[in-house]
Amino acid sequence: MKTDQKNGFSTGIPGRRVRALFALLFIILAVFLILDIFLGSVSISAREVVSSLLGHSHGDFGTIIMKFRLPKAFTALLVGIALSLSGLQMQTVFRNPMAGPDVLGISSGASLAVAFVILGYSSNMAPDGLSGLGNWILVGASWLGAGVVMILIMAISVRVKDIMTVLILGIMLSSGISAIVTILQYFSNETMLKAYVIWTMGSLGNLTASQLNVLIISVSVGVLLNLFTSKMLNALLLGENYARSIGLNVRFARSVIFLSTSILAGSVTAFCGPIGFIGIAVPHMVRILFRTSDHRILIPGTVLLGGTVMLASDIISQLPGSEAVLPINAITSLIGMPVVIWVILRNRKYSGTF
Amino acid sequence: MGKRCNEILTLDSLRIGYHSGKKECLLLSPLSACGRRGELIAVIGRNGIGKSTLLRTLSGLQKPLGGNILYDDRSLSEYSRMELARKVGYISTEIIKVTNMSVYDLVSLGRFPHTNWIGKVESDDQEVIFDAIAKTSMTSFAHKFISELSDGERQKAMIARLLAQDTAIMVMDEPTAFLDVASKYEIMHLLHTLSDVAGKTIIYSTHDLQIATGQSDRIWLLLDDKLVEGAPEDLMLSGAFEHLFSSSSVLFNSKDGTFSFRSEIRGNIFVEGGGNRRKWTEKAIKRSGFRVAQEMTDPYIIVPSDCNLMWKLVSKNETTEFPSIYELIEGINNRLSNAT
Repeated sequence: MKTDQKNGFSTGIPGRRVRALFALLFIILAVFLILDIFLGSVSISAREVVSSLLGHSHGDFGTIIMKFRLPKAFTALLVGIALSLSGLQMQTVFRNPMAGPDVLGISSGASLAVAFVILGYSSNMAPDGLSGLGNWILVGASWLGAGVVMILIMAISVRVKDIMTVLILGIMLSSGISAIVTILQYFSNETMLKAYVIWTMGSLGNLTASQLNVLIISVSVGVLLNLFTSKMLNALLLGENYARSIGLNVRFARSVIFLSTSILAGSVTAFCGPIGFIGIAVPHMVRILFRTSDHRILIPGTVLLGGTVMLASDIISQLPGSEAVLPINAITSLIGMPVVIWVILRNRKYSGTF
Repeated sequence: MGKRCNEILTLDSLRIGYHSGKKECLLLSPLSACGRRGELIAVIGRNGIGKSTLLRTLSGLQKPLGGNILYDDRSLSEYSRMELARKVGYISTEIIKVTNMSVYDLVSLGRFPHTNWIGKVESDDQEVIFDAIAKTSMTSFAHKFISELSDGERQKAMIARLLAQDTAIMVMDEPTAFLDVASKYEIMHLLHTLSDVAGKTIIYSTHDLQIATGQSDRIWLLLDDKLVEGAPEDLMLSGAFEHLFSSSSVLFNSKDGTFSFRSEIRGNIFVEGGGNRRKWTEKAIKRSGFRVAQEMTDPYIIVPSDCNLMWKLVSKNETTEFPSIYELIEGINNRLSNAT
């Protein structure tokens, strides 16, 4: 780290260690992105992949690469970034290390909204068969569902200070929402039901080109909003009172953060279904790696690591070289679980410490 | 009242309290007081009278129910949140629990109202941060995580953050709560330096009258029906502090600002001798419920003039020697219980 000669201690300017970590994470992300395109259920030689990417191959391999693997790799990247960032923001705004889009019922809220659209309106609204405006309706509903649950959880967090109590209430909220979805399912017809059930399994590979566009736009907006909130998030680390005393408009800050989180978590949930554990685990991995609480470092770190972890999960789920494809949710759970358990165990030591 | 005192801080018939539902709960009747630049002001009052509410209201964290707070002759309600954050800083007893936050990070958050939208720390911000850390003698802790600090160190880090915020007025709710004696005096020394040298107006609440009366330039004494303000010595002379203890069995001695308990007087004892040993011996016998007599009593005490000598308890028929005040008091108690 840069050392200030006069005072004899290093400054907070991102030091050599931080820069090196960013470079390393960026390289790893690039490697996994390439690997995700090169590896898959069908083995395609590296030369074929390259020529497909350059647009020289128009055979089956070319189709697989351009129409399937490439969009899926980008989807994985976007999903990883979006879920991890929404987790990071939620953990800070709720001052709860166990917060994440899937844990506090945010994903459930989005699911309910999606269920209303798919089951309540038309099976044509299932993500598979959507294009154009329909995509935006689905995504919009999902944002709304996520946002409403965020506000509910905030209302609870303001009254209940205990982290675990909030968590339990979040789980209750999730079950309540699931119950409503079940009732909706009961009253819907077979095609609608099938479309919905497939959606809940979570998948990165079913997005149409227009859906990928919607996802790219939404996630970009979410990330930009998130960058705009980094200073506010730092202030919120101190708690509401101190944040206000140093000049933060807490209500405005929360609104922007909720908007960003709802867009990020909602968009992913709308197109890929509820994907667990990434949102809660990645921010903690980044904190361990960078050993800081400064969001100006945590946010880019989370973007890089979130993308990497999701790409890695996608590679593993395809079991390269074999025909089988595992559900993405199973892989993310297996990766995220140890981190979450570690956080819980560590938190027993510093009880109440965020 | 409604008079303006042309000071940095004026409370003009301020009414504080909170809203519960639609009902207003007034905690304190209209308060009027002032504060000057560079003053160390102690807020004193019994538990639950509204010290914290007053300090929160001063920091703009809570709306007053009525009246006005003027900072530099401008009403608090006219300040935007950012402007206020550059004018008044606040520390409560709330402990910040964040992992992976270094003292440097915490202190640099004090620059929040001065930095751009992303919170970029410019070189002059950097100066202020270093300065704040150095002034609170936290330099060697700058890269420690706040979760690893002791209570006293954490409080100094919080004060450093407040210093970095660079406000003319600092509001602190019980800055010496939870601290051991050494840290307590260290913090008070720091506050004293900040008000004296850096010209900060510091308003702090405390339950420690000894510290408050010894260190503060001005005291705001919150009583049930009014706020009494003045130099600690003025309040001593006017007997205002006695209102704090009127209902309990504690006696406030306005002569020297000390406390004693109301207890039955067991007798008079004459003390012979002088110096420091006499002073503490007198204190000990007073604590055990005796009065120091002006003329000879039986028994009486001879205080040693040299550290090799013993305390003597002298009566007509016997003289006993004791190596310490503790044993002397025990001896007096024994003698008395034998007598009755």
